[in-house]
Amino acid sequence: MELYSLLLIPLFLALAALLIGRSRSFGAINALGYLAELSCGLFFSAAFLERPEPFTRGLFFVDSLTIFFVLVITIVAFAAALYSIGFLERERRQMKVTDKKSGYYYFLFNLFILAMLLATMVNNLGLLWVAIELTTLISAFLVGFYNTKFSVEAAWKYLIICSVGIILALLGTILFAYVFSLTGGISLNWSDLSAAAGQFDPDLVKFAFIFIIVGYGTKAGLAPMHTWLPDAHSQAISPASALLSGLLLKTALYAIIRYGLIVVKCVGFGFFSHLMLLFGLFSLLIAAGFVLAQKDLKRLLAYSSIEHIGIIAVGIGLGGPLALYGAFLHLLGHAAAKSLMFFGAGNIIQAYDRHNMNSIRGVIRVLPFTGLFFLAGLFALAGFPPFSLFRSEVMILMSAFGRGSYLIAGSLLLFMTVIFGALVFHAGKMIFGPRPPEVPPAKEDLAGKLAFIFLLLIIVVLGVWVPGPLDRLLILVVDTTRGI
Amino acid sequence: MTYILYGILLTAFALVAAKRFDALIGTFRLQAVLLAALAFIEAWHGGGFGIYIIAVLLLIVKGGVIPYFLSRILKEIGASEDLGFFLTPQLSLLLSVFFAYLSWQFSGRIFPGEDLLLKISGTAAFTLLLVGTQIMIFRLKALAQIIGLLVMENGIFLLGIALAGGLPFLVEIAVFLDVFISVMILGVFVYRINRLFTGIDVSRLNRLKG
Repeated sequence: MELYSLLLIPLFLALAALLIGRSRSFGAINALGYLAELSCGLFFSAAFLERPEPFTRGLFFVDSLTIFFVLVITIVAFAAALYSIGFLERERRQMKVTDKKSGYYYFLFNLFILAMLLATMVNNLGLLWVAIELTTLISAFLVGFYNTKFSVEAAWKYLIICSVGIILALLGTILFAYVFSLTGGISLNWSDLSAAAGQFDPDLVKFAFIFIIVGYGTKAGLAPMHTWLPDAHSQAISPASALLSGLLLKTALYAIIRYGLIVVKCVGFGFFSHLMLLFGLFSLLIAAGFVLAQKDLKRLLAYSSIEHIGIIAVGIGLGGPLALYGAFLHLLGHAAAKSLMFFGAGNIIQAYDRHNMNSIRGVIRVLPFTGLFFLAGLFALAGFPPFSLFRSEVMILMSAFGRGSYLIAGSLLLFMTVIFGALVFHAGKMIFGPRPPEVPPAKEDLAGKLAFIFLLLIIVVLGVWVPGPLDRLLILVVDTTRGI
Repeated sequence: MTYILYGILLTAFALVAAKRFDALIGTFRLQAVLLAALAFIEAWHGGGFGIYIIAVLLLIVKGGVIPYFLSRILKEIGASEDLGFFLTPQLSLLLSVFFAYLSWQFSGRIFPGEDLLLKISGTAAFTLLLVGTQIMIFRLKALAQIIGLLVMENGIFLLGIALAGGLPFLVEIAVFLDVFISVMILGVFVYRINRLFTGIDVSRLNRLKG
């Protein structure tokens, strides 16, 4: 039951946005809808935890991995819906967004969430492909939302690069179908493929998986296929940047993990692990280089997303309970922290009307609340205790040391330190200093503040203590992906 | 069936050698018709009822609606016929012949059986994939990039038909719908690019760096 209501709520809200989206109170309705969505997600997880058996229902397949991703999506979507209320209201007042466009925004927002939920829930790998392609198509409009030269350029590059990536993923999907058909099966259901994975032709599976990891890796923002990401994240409307970074990248990663489970069953862990480590470490390297030289606030955050996707990929690539637990905890922590940061960046850019970090000073005086939370989020993102990202990074590092992979652990540490310094240096200097005379102190709305508090609470609490049910869920996820 | 595959291979060469938009779109349409014919034959040989529907859809959408849509955009925005060559048609043709050779070797490696038809299908499919990429990279007009993408997709479709007798019906339909929607959306963005950048030359999309 929860399964269908999870999908119906965004669908219903999308339709409602078409009809009454231009009304000023729709933001509040939307947020209420996502409160319901979040509670659905929680009930769904609770029901699953009582009977933690994977099950199929119609087109859907649910196991602990699905539950975990659904939970992450509903959490971030709820925060984004809360934040959108005040953000869009201010955009309207500044004449950047008309009433009609605001309805259009909510329509896209809901479809986007719906597509991501579908991607994590469908059983059929072909439909998974379709859902992920749909996320690109929908979010392209959120990237090109302001219809300026910059945003249209970003949207075009996003569409073209991700379409090519996704076509390679389709090739991989077809090759997997072919591999399965050689053993006599005709199906693209993940549950069937996974059950028969032992009999697959290992060479063909390896070959097919390369297309999958390059294809979906493009959407996950793994370097060197990440080139669309900084443009799209920086040009999208701010709440959508949070969704792109916090959720979209992870949804693509989910697809890679699903295939990874089949590959590991067939050819063993080594192949999958090497690819994940390779792409992960390369992403960290690229991110470290570009974060150092970054001037644009939202691009800085975008490159930091590439870093964190890299860390998660390395965690998954290392394997073992500790690294996997760390990787998934990191995934949740990053989704929350990065959304917080993009919300903060959205408020800052709105108040200052500029992106360049060198010309932004005194945020704490202009936006006291945002400034404070932005600073906390910055340290969380950089991997500072007591936030949850510190904890998960330590888990991944410890697992690398424990395995004796000193090279991996060493380069992880090096890149994380460089990025830590660059992040705090670049973004930190915006917070303090005198208020520029041309920027008046701005008002911050209650819903936006609640979104900040909600997200920060998550990363702080998870930093000191993982609540029992979540801990059980994470352990189940680790068990599911244990093969990895 | 082999002749149709050769025909598809030829259209791939014709696509990179095309000098004007109407030739590009026309060749693409021909390619779609050939692909549809291939799907019909596959269905005739017992591929199942679903493949008939796919073939008809292919004929209507890729052989009719999409080419029409693309030519209409071209006419409406009054773009020049020039494709914006980064690499001349002659060089591109040479390159694509080389790609076809590579594809032949490659499909020999991954389909090591005696099945010659499968090998030729694989060659044609991978050539289409590479040629599509080539068009996307070496033609600087936004519309040409859309066609490059579609050609890549044709390659995948061909491979799908040859390998697995097509994907499951539901998936195939969904993929089709998806491709259709994505062309429409790319079309919307072509209009926007044309309005903002006064032209559809993507080499002008160079503002975002770092």
